[in-house]
This record gives sequence, C-alpha cells and structure tokens, in this order.
Amino acid sequence: MDETPAVLASLACNLDSDILTAAFPLLEDGKVEALEWSFDTLFRANELPEWFIELLHTYGNQQRLVGHGVFFSLLSGRWTPEQQQWLAQLKQVSSAFAFDHITEHFGFFTGQNFHTGAPLPVPYTATALRIGQDRLRRIYDACQCPVGLENLAFAYSLDEVQQHGEFLEKLIAPVNGFIILDLHNLYCQLHNFSVSYEALIDLYPLDCVREIHISGGSWEDSSVLPNKKVRRDTHDDAVPAEVFRLLALTMPKCANLKFVVLEQLGTGLRSENSKAQFRRDFQQMADLVQQHRATIAAHRPINAFRPAQLPALGTAIEDQQFHAQQVQLSDILENAVSFEEAHRRLHASSLANSAWKVEAWEPHMLETAVRIAQKWKQQ
Amino acid sequence: MKIPKALLGAIVVGITAQATVACSKKDAPEPKEQATKGAKSPVRVPYDCPGCGMG
Repeated sequence: MDETPAVLASLACNLDSDILTAAFPLLEDGKVEALEWSFDTLFRANELPEWFIELLHTYGNQQRLVGHGVFFSLLSGRWTPEQQQWLAQLKQVSSAFAFDHITEHFGFFTGQNFHTGAPLPVPYTATALRIGQDRLRRIYDACQCPVGLENLAFAYSLDEVQQHGEFLEKLIAPVNGFIILDLHNLYCQLHNFSVSYEALIDLYPLDCVREIHISGGSWEDSSVLPNKKVRRDTHDDAVPAEVFRLLALTMPKCANLKFVVLEQLGTGLRSENSKAQFRRDFQQMADLVQQHRATIAAHRPINAFRPAQLPALGTAIEDQQFHAQQVQLSDILENAVSFEEAHRRLHASSLANSAWKVEAWEPHMLETAVRIAQKWKQQ
Repeated sequence: MKIPKALLGAIVVGITAQATVACSKKDAPEPKEQATKGAKSPVRVPYDCPGCGMG
C-alpha cells in the first residue's frame, strides 16, 4: 500500500453516468487520490450497483472516502421525520462504508418536502446556533466520525458574508468539527459583494479547514442592477482561473487540510469538450496540490476533529417562531412574481425589523434568492 | 490511487449498461410508476439533481 499523502487530490463522484464517464480516464490513470460521495442524493434507488459499491469500498479501505450530505437542512427550525430518516440512512451507510468524515451544508431548505427547494442562509442568532449545534451533534452520533460544515455561496449582505466564518466556527465547536472551505462559494461572494480575498479569508478559522472545494459556476444578469452580473454557484462549468489562484493562495493557510475536491454536476458534463475540460481542471488542481505537498514535506494535520466527550442526546431542539419565519420566507421567495413583489411582501412580513435584517439585504441578492427558490421548488 | 483493473472494467460495463443518475425528480411519471411497483433498480429519469451547486 502506498503511503497516503498529507493532502489528497479528490473528486466529487456520484452515481451519475456523465460524471463517471468524464472521470473514468482519471480513475484509470490512478490520478484520483480520494472520492467524495453525496450519499443522500440517491434517495429513490433501493440499491447501488455492485461496481459502484466496490469503487466506494476501494477508496474507503484506504481512508480516502468522504461523505457529503446535501439534503439534511441543518438549520430548519422544526425537526422533521425526514431529518430523522436522513440520520437513520446516515447510520446505515456509515456502517457499510468507511467514511473518513461526513459533511453537510450551512443553511435551511426552502422546499416544503424533502429533496425539493434550495439551501438559503439564516441569521446568526443564538437560536440558529443552538439548532445547528444540536443537528451536528446528531450527525456525529449517527456516523461516529469527524463532522464538518461547508460555507454557503449565497448571502444577502456583506455583513453576513463577513460574519460567516465566525458563525461556522461556533457551530462546529461542540463536536470539534471542521470546515469545508468552498473556494468557488467564496469567489461568488467576492464578486457579488465587491470584496477582496484578502479582506475575507482571514475572517475564516483556517485551522479548522479540513477540506477545500473548487468548482465552476455561471453568471446571471440582474434586473435591479443592470450593470451587475451575479455569480451563481451552479457547478455546471469549468473552474475559473481565479479559483485556481485562490486555491494556490489558500492551501498554505490551512494547516489541517486533508482533501481538495473538484465538483461538477453531470448536467454540465454532457459534451466531450466539457468532459475534456473537466479532466484538465482536475489535473490542474492535482498539480497545485502536489506543489503544496512539496512545501509541507512530512507535516501531517494536527487536529483529528473528533470530539472529546459529548453529553447524551435529548429531544431535538426546535423553535417554532424560527420555523414560521422560514416558512414565510420560503413562500415569499417561491411565489413572488417579481423582485418588487418579493421586496414588498418581505417588508410587510414577520421578518421585517427582526434578526433576519431584511432591511439590509442587497436588492440583487434578494432577486437571486427568488430565482434560486423558484428554480428548485417542487413543481 | 491505483484501482484494480477488474473494477475498472466493471465500471466501464456499468456506465455503458445503464444511464444511471444520482437522484430523480419526485413527480416525474416514470420514477413514480417504478416506485409504486416496488422497483429495485435505480431510477432512470434524468433530473438536474444538484448535489451541491444549487446556488
């Protein structure tokens, strides 16, 4: 068995024929050093093909498999049967596969039902903190391995962007958790809020970063700011050169980094050109990871990100007012026929003059939230 | 990381044999029909399943 490198060039690989077809030459050449699997996106299939199971085991047996949840809705105000089922599934899949860690996303899902909607942010309140810490504790209880949280691309205001890292650090503290720093998500914020990398990066607890994501996205016109294009984290295009630059700058700052993961959706990998570009992106990422490894020599991550001792789990923490506000926000975003209507309804709702600080939301980001919510709502 | 040749061969066959996607849209006719029949094979309806990348 080859010695495991300190930092692994990794691939987000789901049971998707376009992703697997694009990635196959990389797998064949032995270039993929670790796999990230979104285990909860396969919710309607009753079984995995044997070859995919074997692929997961091949990486898991070498401590090179990580699980990345998408649909748990960590910060929903109400505890749901779907979340309980998600944890049961996590427990089951964690017993079947050797995950080196499990991660989820910051935010709550706007959808009325499991597997619809999109993740949006919440205010950084004591209520959100209690709920998030409770959920992360439950995730750890189910998987019994290190647990991490990914930064969100979308934000309503610069103030929120600037406080995101600090709040993530508070959320993960009780489980001695870690952060996935998604650099494309950061790139979206640099553009959408006209802020520099240098002004933002040190606001993150970089010693808590165990994983970095890179990906591509898209540009969208704004009707409220005609000269502004909004950067969207859609994972359907090549990795921008700037994101590779951010990767080179960021890796040396993260002493506990172990995985660097390339993500792209299968829907963005339909053409041969896109598949070839995907492989070039992976090679460029792998080259940067290798250059970084050469600078850290024999250094290994210090923090194993396992909690010391945790109290017994009680009843899931809920907050009915928080839940009601999320339901109201979801309804406004999913059903407003225009930005103006969304703005008007929002300022007449229970979210006005509250911790949600809707008065400070940038118009182009409210417009984007409407678009995100309506793109992913249940039809 | 090296992957055994037999597994690589199985992956090729597997990708070719089924246009498998990671998840399915809840209200599309085909998966609903398959679900009510208790089908065990992965659903085949192509859906812009986000995984991440929802923003």
